[in-house]
Amino acid sequence: MTEPERFDIAIVGGGPAGQAAAIALEGHGLSIAVIDEQIRPGGQILRQPPAAFTVANWLADRSYAPLKRQLDRFGQLKEVRWLGGHSAVGLQAGSIVATGPDGLRNIAADRILIAAGCQDLAVPLPGWTLPGVYAAGGIQAFVKSQQLLAGTRVLLAGTHPLQLIIAAQIVAAGGTVAAVLFAQPRAHMIAALAAQPLTALGRASDLFAAGTAMATLARAGAPIRFGVGLSALTGRDRVSGAVTSAGNVECDAVGLCYGFVPQSALPRMAGARMTAAGPAGGWACVHDDWMRTSVPGLYAAGETVGVAGAAAAAAGGELAGLGIALDLGLLDADTAQRAAQNSRRRFARHRAFASLLDAAADPRPFFPAPDSGTIVCRCEDVEFGPLSERVSAGGSANAVKLATRCGMGACQGRNCEPTLLRMISAAGGCDDVGFTARFPARAVSIADLLSSD
Amino acid sequence: MSATRITRGVNRGGPIAITVDGIRIECFAGETVAAAMLAADHAVFRADTRGQRRGMFCNMGVCSECLVTLIAGGPHVRACLVEARDGMEVATRD
Ligand SMILES: Cc1cc2nc3c(=O)[nH]c(=O)nc-3n(C[C@H](O)[C@H](O)[C@H](O)COP(=O)(O)OP(=O)(O)OC[C@H]3O[C@@H](n4cnc5c(N)ncnc54)[C@H](O)[C@@H]3O)c2cc1C
Repeated sequence: MTEPERFDIAIVGGGPAGQAAAIALEGHGLSIAVIDEQIRPGGQILRQPPAAFTVANWLADRSYAPLKRQLDRFGQLKEVRWLGGHSAVGLQAGSIVATGPDGLRNIAADRILIAAGCQDLAVPLPGWTLPGVYAAGGIQAFVKSQQLLAGTRVLLAGTHPLQLIIAAQIVAAGGTVAAVLFAQPRAHMIAALAAQPLTALGRASDLFAAGTAMATLARAGAPIRFGVGLSALTGRDRVSGAVTSAGNVECDAVGLCYGFVPQSALPRMAGARMTAAGPAGGWACVHDDWMRTSVPGLYAAGETVGVAGAAAAAAGGELAGLGIALDLGLLDADTAQRAAQNSRRRFARHRAFASLLDAAADPRPFFPAPDSGTIVCRCEDVEFGPLSERVSAGGSANAVKLATRCGMGACQGRNCEPTLLRMISAAGGCDDVGFTARFPARAVSIADLLSSD
Repeated sequence: MSATRITRGVNRGGPIAITVDGIRIECFAGETVAAAMLAADHAVFRADTRGQRRGMFCNMGVCSECLVTLIAGGPHVRACLVEARDGMEVATRD
């Protein structure tokens, strides 16, 4: 391999967590590489428009203001080398392999922070592979970043309250929302929030954002329905409608919104200890008080350690930055503890709210039922029928993968793993750790790999 | 018709054009190849093994459903991450 580029610290992810860590490390004279496959920093929550665009009132809602201030500050850091448009595809303690416009790149750093965020949970149902069916976050990213409405009548369906915010953003941009369908009854959501009223009240701003979104949708005449589940998405060459428990809905784009799972390929590849993430599934990276993982020199923050929203991600990123400074001897223990107090408080508070939200949005009782021809593994076209036959014969996720090719394609199982693990657990298998994470974490061209050594 | 560009309050960079499977698509500098394709009503990225039309899914780089080939850059390029450049030639797996 080519000579590695050396940095004191490498951070994967320029979202709220990665930015906060870099900011916390400011002023120590360190060199910090921040690697992100998006071209511009911001992460999922602040997906920036292309630099060539000017967008009046971009994410003007006041809930985004602190994150936008953090993004500005991050952009001014002298110690940061921004490697946008680069994907980390390989990771172990001390080194990262990244792909970018010029092929593979080798990055060496004694301290590495993984702040890679989360992704929408992929939920198979009949018709979900039709063009026009997206992960809800994908539809939102088109609005925020590309200034594009994915369809002329967009249906949002699932269990996660974020779909209200997405629908309101579509309406505010001049689009039409066919409906927002919550599979769970309204009483179910309210009961989950009411179980801990103090925590819910403490985060009234988030609830208020959902309330404002509901008002916006009501004004636009977009129906919000509770207790309505999806049975199938229909269309010939692209989606044109949905079959639901309350009748048919016409639409030309669909956003599925059943929850979010951490992006866990990199910490798993590095051998870090992981734990089950939450009701939506997936794996979260285990960490200590300073966001150290079980692998020396490797830290994790943001939604890599569990999906809890941008404010928790930023607080965790600060802790990781302070933890790295402590471990490098740049801060003594007392100073680090004092500096971390406020971040710790916020981290705990936002995570407590996130667990309420997890309960309110728990998709497990409400997943649509696949039929035997429903594709579960999108990359390898593995259908539910044959897959469930193989699963009922027993064996681990890895064994099922070898036998069926489920999880063997370009996405490395990221879309199908949570579904397969649910199937294995329903068939009586338990404690499956999922697919072995392999290099590369992203699809890479063979030419890039060959030209690198 | 499917995807539409938001115009209110948005100034895009210069108009450019790319080709997708030999068909010319007008778009804007800085747009992702995926956004350019959808805005031109080219929502199909491949046919699957059953012959069904397939689109993209996550729009954030993880699902690999939008893989295209750039004639000058090679295969396995995620259309949702790469910016369109004037004259770029793109091939889908359709
Ligand atoms: C599509 C989507 C939309 C969302 N929208 C909202 C919203 O509107 N409101 C809300 O409260 N929460 C939203 N969330 C949750 C949101 O992700 C978090 O609250 C917040 O952005 C988390 O911050 P983070 O720093 O942990 O991760 P992120 O903000 O996701 O940042 C992680 C960054 O890491 C990069 N990355 C990941 N893997 C690699 C790799 N292998 N190589 C290089 N770079 C990599 C990503 O490109 C990304 O920029 C959304 C989540 C998703 C998936």
